[in-house]
Order: sequence, then structure tokens, then C-alpha cells
Amino acid sequence: MLCEKPSTAERIAKALDENGKPQKKETDRVPYYETFRVGKRLIVVAALGHLYTVAPKVTDRNVYPVFEFDWVPRYTAERDARDTKKWVEVITNLSKGAQEYILATDYDIEGATLGYTILKYACGEKDKEAKRMKFSTLTTEELRKSYDELFEHIEFPTIEAGVCRHFLDAMYGINLSRAMTVAAKQYSGKYLTLSTGRVQGPTLKFLVDREKKINTFVPIPFWAIKTSVEINGQVFEVEYEKAKMQSREEAEAVINACLGKKGKISKMEVKKFHQNPPVPFDLGALQAEAYSFFKYTPRRTSDVAERLYLEALISYPRTSSQKLPPTINSRAILELLANEPKYTSLAHQLLSEKKLVPNEGKREDSAHPSIYPTGILPSKALGDPERKLWDLIVRRFMAVFSKPALKQSSKVTITVDGYSFFLHGKQVLEEGWMVFYKPFIRAEDVILPPLEKGQEIAFKEVVVEDKFTKPPVRYNPSSLLKKMEDEGIGTKATRAGIIDTLYTRGYVGGERASISELGLDVTNILERYCPEVVSISFTREMEKNMEEIQNEKEKKDVVIAKATIRLEPVLTEMKKHQETMGQELTEAAKKAQMQQRVVGSCLQCGTGKLVIVYSRRTGKRFLGCTGFFKGQCKVSFPLPQTGTVKPVSKDCGVCGWPMIQYQTKGKRPWVFCVRPDCPSKEARR
Amino acid sequence: MQCEICGRKSEGNFCELHKAAYDNLLKNYEAWKKSMKVSWKEYLTHIKVNEFSGLWVKEVAQHLLASDSSKQQGVQKAELDK
Repeated sequence: MLCEKPSTAERIAKALDENGKPQKKETDRVPYYETFRVGKRLIVVAALGHLYTVAPKVTDRNVYPVFEFDWVPRYTAERDARDTKKWVEVITNLSKGAQEYILATDYDIEGATLGYTILKYACGEKDKEAKRMKFSTLTTEELRKSYDELFEHIEFPTIEAGVCRHFLDAMYGINLSRAMTVAAKQYSGKYLTLSTGRVQGPTLKFLVDREKKINTFVPIPFWAIKTSVEINGQVFEVEYEKAKMQSREEAEAVINACLGKKGKISKMEVKKFHQNPPVPFDLGALQAEAYSFFKYTPRRTSDVAERLYLEALISYPRTSSQKLPPTINSRAILELLANEPKYTSLAHQLLSEKKLVPNEGKREDSAHPSIYPTGILPSKALGDPERKLWDLIVRRFMAVFSKPALKQSSKVTITVDGYSFFLHGKQVLEEGWMVFYKPFIRAEDVILPPLEKGQEIAFKEVVVEDKFTKPPVRYNPSSLLKKMEDEGIGTKATRAGIIDTLYTRGYVGGERASISELGLDVTNILERYCPEVVSISFTREMEKNMEEIQNEKEKKDVVIAKATIRLEPVLTEMKKHQETMGQELTEAAKKAQMQQRVVGSCLQCGTGKLVIVYSRRTGKRFLGCTGFFKGQCKVSFPLPQTGTVKPVSKDCGVCGWPMIQYQTKGKRPWVFCVRPDCPSKEARR
Repeated sequence: MQCEICGRKSEGNFCELHKAAYDNLLKNYEAWKKSMKVSWKEYLTHIKVNEFSGLWVKEVAQHLLASDSSKQQGVQKAELDK
């Protein structure tokens, strides 16, 4: 029996063993388990994620285009995968003489592809005879049921789509990245790590397009009126009927008309409405909510959720489903959750209902239901992120089964000399699902006192505000993930990783994903020489094709052939412009490297920049002004000679000189002013 | 040619990015003139320090202010006349 990870193997072995005590064995430090179930001896062994990868037949990194690819053991293609060699060897040895093969990897496109390659290449073409376990939680009950109801075959259409994805990603990623690095290397003679890919290129393009809008934004002045009224000693903000006025005179006319006068309530509108509970979590929604409340990046949420899944606390998190089928037995889960003191009364409230009907969303996933708690309580204290995420998932699960909230919104129109102002109130009348989802609710009530038509209202404040239109906001990792989801690029399993790659490549930085000069230049160069690479339509089309393969409406070979036809002219064009592209990429990389060394402006000369410089004579580092090279400024500051020093784009609040971040191994980073005699350091002396 | 501001490749005085910022500056001057009654130079000065102005817009404004004023007024007038 082949599992995806060692921790899953252990859990499955324990669940299936008749005594719950499988025998742990090890060969070459690769663990596997011997377990007995219904008279059968089962060997449960884990992979270490993917053990095989798609690699080009031509291994010389300076050669492109390459269109012939093969599955090869990862240890032969990737330097950091050497450890996987012994895993392949152990699995190969264990598989010899086995009478039956069972695939128990995650039931999704990656899990199926990973299992297929191991069965085919490590176990000797056993993919066709292998049976399949399908489960969405790692609870003993579900694992045993899944073992008793094994599928006769592994899911070949899904595997075809997975294999196709791996081939396309390799074909695009390897060829395009090679084209870029070869171009830069031929120009500068140096190797630069530059990459792009089928999904990475369009994702970076979203960010670049947004950055362009922000950086070319010209604010337009407008005027608004800030008003508040006082009712029974309470102050409420009211809004003027026109949110934006094009001239100050227009705004002042309104103020003059209202000053010293009382307004009259001319209209009152009260609306009561029901707000349905939220829908169950799919991975994207969980990532968005975790970012919103805990500021966890999508990748972090995904990793924490994975750990909760491996502890059997929640169901499989890589799902796009918003459904909770009756088969999960929600009542039993609530009964188990009631054992946790903080959920006891909430769970009992739901259990007192005759029928439990979830408020489901539209999205479906044929492989797994939405994310839900299994009801199993943590056997040991959870870490902070796990505890928070589990709590969010449990509360969301309970909320989806509860009643709609009843809310009331009111709009009171106050009129003065023909000018209208609106006073808004909002109130929760019946909390419904909100009781279960606290503290993950943001709504705040504005409760208005009793009012009646014709009532006079005194203005507390009426002032003109000078305002400007604002640029669009930058994406954050969560909103970028949502954009990728909406545009249909990447998969639930890969999106967070692609965003991470943009950060590690240095194309993007900061919590508000802001594009670096390198990211901007790379995208501009790609757009100029091979627009197809950053085109969203192409990527989206490929994603659709892969979905069709999964639904058996398209063939893998046809999709790969189509992609090859589209990629070939792109690479020819890149080769044609290799020299100019190489020059531009090299300059962009040099500029980016320089940027990383710039700490801030020099206050002494006013025109130079303070940069981290390494002395050719002593090899020591210090901060120097770029004005030195022009003979204009001699400012320099010492730097610590150990640890890492990084610019922080922040100026000292006391003296105004730039600040830097210094960190040594195992210690917290320390941000301080570059000036050794800055008064801010007085306390440390 | 090279962009006068950032040194990137360009076909005119500015690269594609600073040209887009410059075009936006020209396009929005009318709105500023109407509501704030400012001259081109005053407009650029406001834009240079406004917290919502884009970085490239600020760089263009700074560049135009620093370069020969009569020349830039001429450029601006010619652009507006179009």
C-alpha cells in the first residue's frame, strides 16, 4: 500500500491494523509498516511527495528549445532530491513479490499522478493492476471503510490530466527559463537565476498591470462634506447626498446653507432582511479568511491545514467544494465537538434541531467535500496557528448549519434648505449563525435612537474636506490568489506555491505584493519579445484543456501537441532577439542587485544614495554615499561585519537618516539608524 | 535612446512607463486647472508632493520642474493643443 507521506502511512497503518499496533520497520532509514487486516499482511509504505519528475532528454542547460521529455527519478534531475533515491529503492524492493497493490495517496490530481509514476516506474508497471483507496479524512472509521470498499482501478483520466500538466509545466518552464538565462549568460558571461512559467508569467503580469496603474496615477482633487448630527446627546456621522464635488465653491455653498440651522427628517426608510449563513470552506475561502483574520499567507494556511488533516482533525483541505454531503454525518461530528468545552453549548444548540441542513455554495469538487472538522479533538496541545485555524474551521462548520441572521438597516433623510443628508443605522435583530461564527465577524451596529418624520435635528459639525481620488490598491497574497482563481489559472494545489516563487525570485516584495524593478523589467521584456508567455488567455485555454482530459473529452497527446505548436514560434522569436534580450535582462538584474544595496538617501549631500559597499582592500563592508564616486560627498558609516544587513526603506524618526535591519543567526532582527551617534541609540549605550 | 529619468530604452524622451505617467499628467491637468485654478508649474509642484501621486508621475513632475521651464511649457502647450 503506497501513501503520500510518512505521517499518512503511519496513520493508515494504525487505522487498518486489527490491533491498532502495526509493526514499524525501517530499511536505509526509510520507514514502512507491517500490518494485518482480515488475515492479509499489508506493507504500508510512504512516498516523499513526488519521487519522479518530468525532465528534458537534453540535460545541457544551455540548449533550447527542447520538446522531448520523460519521467525520471527526481534524484537524477534535482540536486536537492538526492534523498529520494533510497525511497525509490526501498519501494522497488518492497513491491517485489507483492500479490496486490493499493494506492492510498491523496485523492486528487497530484496524489494520483504521484502514485501512478511510482507504481509504473518503481514497482514495474503495476499501475494497471493497482486498486485505489479514496478517503477525505484520516479518521480510523473512514480509512477502514475506504479499505473495505476499494476501487478496482486508479483514476486514469485524472492521471492523464496530471501527467499533461507536468509535461506542459516542464515544457514551458524549462524552455522559457532557459531562453532567459541563456540570453543573459551569453551577454554577460554570468549565470542569472531568471524564471517564468505557464502560470507564473500571467500571474506576474497581473501585478505589473496593477503596479503600472498605481505608479502612473494622477490624483484629482474633489471636495466632500463631513457632517455629524447630535441626537439625544449622541453624535452620529451623516453623509451628504453628493459624495464628490468638483469645486470648493459648490461645497461651501452647502455649508453656508446649513450653518446655524436645524435639519428636518423628511424621510425614513427601514429595511429588515435575512442574511444567510456563510457557505462551507473550500481552500480558497479558507485562505482568504485566514489572511483576513490572522494575516496568514495562502501558503501558510495551506501548510497549517495540511498538518491539521494529517492529525485527522479536519478533512482533506485541497478542495474546491462548497458542499457538505449527508455521508459525512454532521450530527456525529457535532456530538464529538460537544466534548470540547468551548463548543459544548453551541454544538448542543445545533443538535437540538431535528434536521441539520447546511447552507451550501455552488462549487463542487468530485474528489472531496468542503473542509470540515472530523470531530476528533486534538490529543495534544496544538501550536498557535493550528489552534486558530482549527477553531475557524470548527466555527465555520457550525455556522453553516445554523439559521439566517435577521438584520435591519435604516436610512434617515435630513433636509436643510433643499440639501439632503443621510443618516444610516444598522442593527442585528437576531444573531442566527453569527452566534456560532464569533469572533470571526466584523459587522458593527449603529443603533439609532427613536426618530420620527418632521423631527428637528441639530448639526454638530459641517465642514468641507479637501480630498483626492486614490490609486487602486496593491494585491496582497490573498487577493492575488483570488484573482488567479477568478481568472481560472493554476490549481488549488499550485496557486499558493506560484505566489511564493514570485517572492523568492525577487520579482515581488512586501506584504502588499509590490513589484520590484526586476519583476517589472522581466515582464516588460517578455511582453515585448514573447507576449504569449504572459498572456492569460493562453494559460486559461490550457487549464480548460486539462479539465477536458479529466472529463475524458480530450486526449493528453493532442493538448501537448497543441501547446508545442504554440510554444515553438515563441522560442524562435526569443532566439532571434537573444542578444538584445540578454542585454536588457542583464541590465535589469544588475539594477535589481544595486537596488538591494541601496539603504536610502544621503542627507549630507541631498542627491546621493547610501549604499552597502565592500572595500576592495580590506573586504570589510560599510555604508557609503554614491556621491563619493563623483567627488561630491564623503559620507560613510560603519556596518557590523557579521550577520546580514538589509535595507528597510524606512527613515529614523529621530534624525531622519535611513534605517537598516541587522540580523545574526538565531536572533531577532534589529532595525536601527545608520548614524552611530544618533540620539535614538542613547538608551542602548 | 534612453529615458531621461530612468535610463530604460525609449523611443522618445521617456521610456514606456514614464511616457504613460507623462500622458496621464497631461490628461488630468484640465481637471486640476478647472477645480484648483493652478498653472502648469503649480500643478506639477502639487503632484510632486501629493501622497496619492504615482511614483513615476512624481518622477516626471520632478523632472519637468527641474528641466528648462520654457521648454517644458512649450511641450505641454503643444500636447494640449493636439
